[in-house]
Amino acid sequence: MFSLEGITNSIQNWLYQTFEPWFALTMECLIVILLAISLFAILGLVLVLMERKVAAHIQIRLGPNRVGPGGMFQTVADTIKLLMKEGLTPDAADKFLFNLAPFVVMIVAMLLLAPIAFAKGFQIWDINIGVLFISAVSSLSVIGILMAGWASNNKYSLLGAMRSGAQIVSYELSAGLSVLSIVVLTGSLRLSDIIASQENGWWLLKGHIPVIISFVIFLIAVTAETNRAPFDMAEAESELTAGFHTEYSGMRFALFFLAEYINIFIVCAIGATLFLGGWMPFHIGHWDGFNHIMDFIPSSIWFMGKTFFLIFLIMWFRWTFPRLRIDQLLELEWKYLLPISLFNLVLVTVMAIMGWHF
Amino acid sequence: MNASAVIFYLISAFMLVTGILAVTTRKIFRSAIWLLFSLVGIAALYFWMQVEFIAAVQIVVYVGGIVVLIIFSIFLTQQSGVEMKKPNPKRNFFAALAVLFGLAFIYRLISEYGFMETPAQPFQASVSDIGTQMLSTGDQGYILPFEAVSMLLLGAMVGCIVIAMKNKTGDPGIAEPDAAKLMIHTDFSSKTTEKDN
Amino acid sequence: MFLKEYISDVYRGVSSLLKGMRKTGYYFFHPKEIVTEQYPDNRATLHLSERFRGEVIMLHDENNEHACTGCTACELACPNGTIKIITKFDISPEGKKKKAIDTFIYHLELCTMCNLCIEACPTNAIKMAQNFEHSVYDRSKLTKKLNHEGSKIREGVE
Repeated sequence: MFSLEGITNSIQNWLYQTFEPWFALTMECLIVILLAISLFAILGLVLVLMERKVAAHIQIRLGPNRVGPGGMFQTVADTIKLLMKEGLTPDAADKFLFNLAPFVVMIVAMLLLAPIAFAKGFQIWDINIGVLFISAVSSLSVIGILMAGWASNNKYSLLGAMRSGAQIVSYELSAGLSVLSIVVLTGSLRLSDIIASQENGWWLLKGHIPVIISFVIFLIAVTAETNRAPFDMAEAESELTAGFHTEYSGMRFALFFLAEYINIFIVCAIGATLFLGGWMPFHIGHWDGFNHIMDFIPSSIWFMGKTFFLIFLIMWFRWTFPRLRIDQLLELEWKYLLPISLFNLVLVTVMAIMGWHF
Repeated sequence: MNASAVIFYLISAFMLVTGILAVTTRKIFRSAIWLLFSLVGIAALYFWMQVEFIAAVQIVVYVGGIVVLIIFSIFLTQQSGVEMKKPNPKRNFFAALAVLFGLAFIYRLISEYGFMETPAQPFQASVSDIGTQMLSTGDQGYILPFEAVSMLLLGAMVGCIVIAMKNKTGDPGIAEPDAAKLMIHTDFSSKTTEKDN
Repeated sequence: MFLKEYISDVYRGVSSLLKGMRKTGYYFFHPKEIVTEQYPDNRATLHLSERFRGEVIMLHDENNEHACTGCTACELACPNGTIKIITKFDISPEGKKKKAIDTFIYHLELCTMCNLCIEACPTNAIKMAQNFEHSVYDRSKLTKKLNHEGSKIREGVE
């Protein structure tokens, strides 16, 4: 059976047998960096195309269909165009911070990739505080946005950055609380433990209604945290031209754009890990025969399938729902999501203590 | 010098440089950003020491919370983009004096006591242990400080709401425009009635 | 009481959002609903709606006769001076002078396809056609003469 674990183990063994330990470690680091960067590039291309195609089909259109079969190479062409473009820096901008901001956003997205388990035994860093690490590091991305907004020396950018800051800081709360409900059920912050706890069924299925509520809240909160419509206050094309990246052009704009899609992928991967069992195949209780059949599908395909299902859901939100005003946005968080998720957390805790879940 | 020590010195140098930049730059927003990098450096140091929980809390509290708060308040000040004027030489002199004094003090402490190599293994504190300790009522428990801090935060929150709340009655600052509006309205209505008559 | 209102608020919000998602989801999974016309490729089978307005034309029958009396009602109705009618006087066989059009000038570059001229015409001499491929290399080609060469007014049209 195909498995990524075998490949990584054999590579590691070969490296440590043929080279000195420090050289092997360096080589491993280089391989991981290479993989992460190529994953970023491929994800950027695939997700942008997917977004455009999904948007088109939801709006009864065809979407890009000129470059390559079915428009497959449209995003490649767009990327080449962006690479060729001149990256302008406004005269009155704070040049250092202006140029630094896209990289801060990008580096934060890369850091978030570390604890995600892509397949069985295929994880960069199985840190013991996985979930907390993710929520901590994802709060850094707001810094990059604030930096970009302020350094552009443009009132649209500044307004967009302020809105984005308020939005991310407040939606982090309910995202954290909904993640916490799974942590309460599992009793561990480590992502591999959380996945292992779903061996006899995904939390979404065996956690009754409270987990479904926290799943919905998680989806809403991460949509807001990634600054996507219907919560795209930070960009708000109709009001702020493009929000915090109004002044960016060329490759630096592309980095912001890429980081947005990478963040979508990461939050969906986390959602898939917490609620849908990550790479864990679809198992039902003790039906060993059924579980065994499900194990024949490689774990990486399970993980990618679940993640892309969640990405599709988020895209579906974007192209269906009307946008919120900034006050409605904050009202939704503070008057609806936060009280509901606090109450829900109490329910989940009671459930976990009494052992009512399957 | 092994790789671990190299990483330690790199992180320390990063923290020191960004810390110095934070106090010497004359743009207030840049100062906040350098402070942020310095705090991230501290978190990196915690990661280096393999106390991941503390590192994550450092990022959540200081970087995600306090620095964002500072940046927000900078956004709300006037002339946040203007370079501040140079401090006068007298102040520079005393600042340098204070720094020298601090350095001498720390040097004296270190030279007297030195860094002792502890024979103990690096401690392993799992997150659940931290949680249990935090809420335990036993001998080593932290339930009392925990509750005291939560009461303090609740008090702060209520205070914020009270300050931010619009006082509808008895506040002259709010009541006056309302009264003015009312007067304009009555004035307008009386005029129309006159015309009707 | 407050709680009841709160819960019903949440319920109504969620159910209306789900209704919207059902509609868009239906569209997503039914590609037959797609309305996009792949224009240059499907020129032969291009379907235009009945009321699509592309340009003003003058109707001529097989005898090269039209119904325009030269009353200039269309010229007066046009809000932006698209139509200019040059009239002449025909001599009828009885020796009577009769007003008729010499040239019906139509400035396509000024026309907004508002349909007011067609509504103003008392004899239904002009109508809107559906041809929309008007691009030319020279702007002067957009000024058109609508009555054909040698055409005349149909018998019995006053």
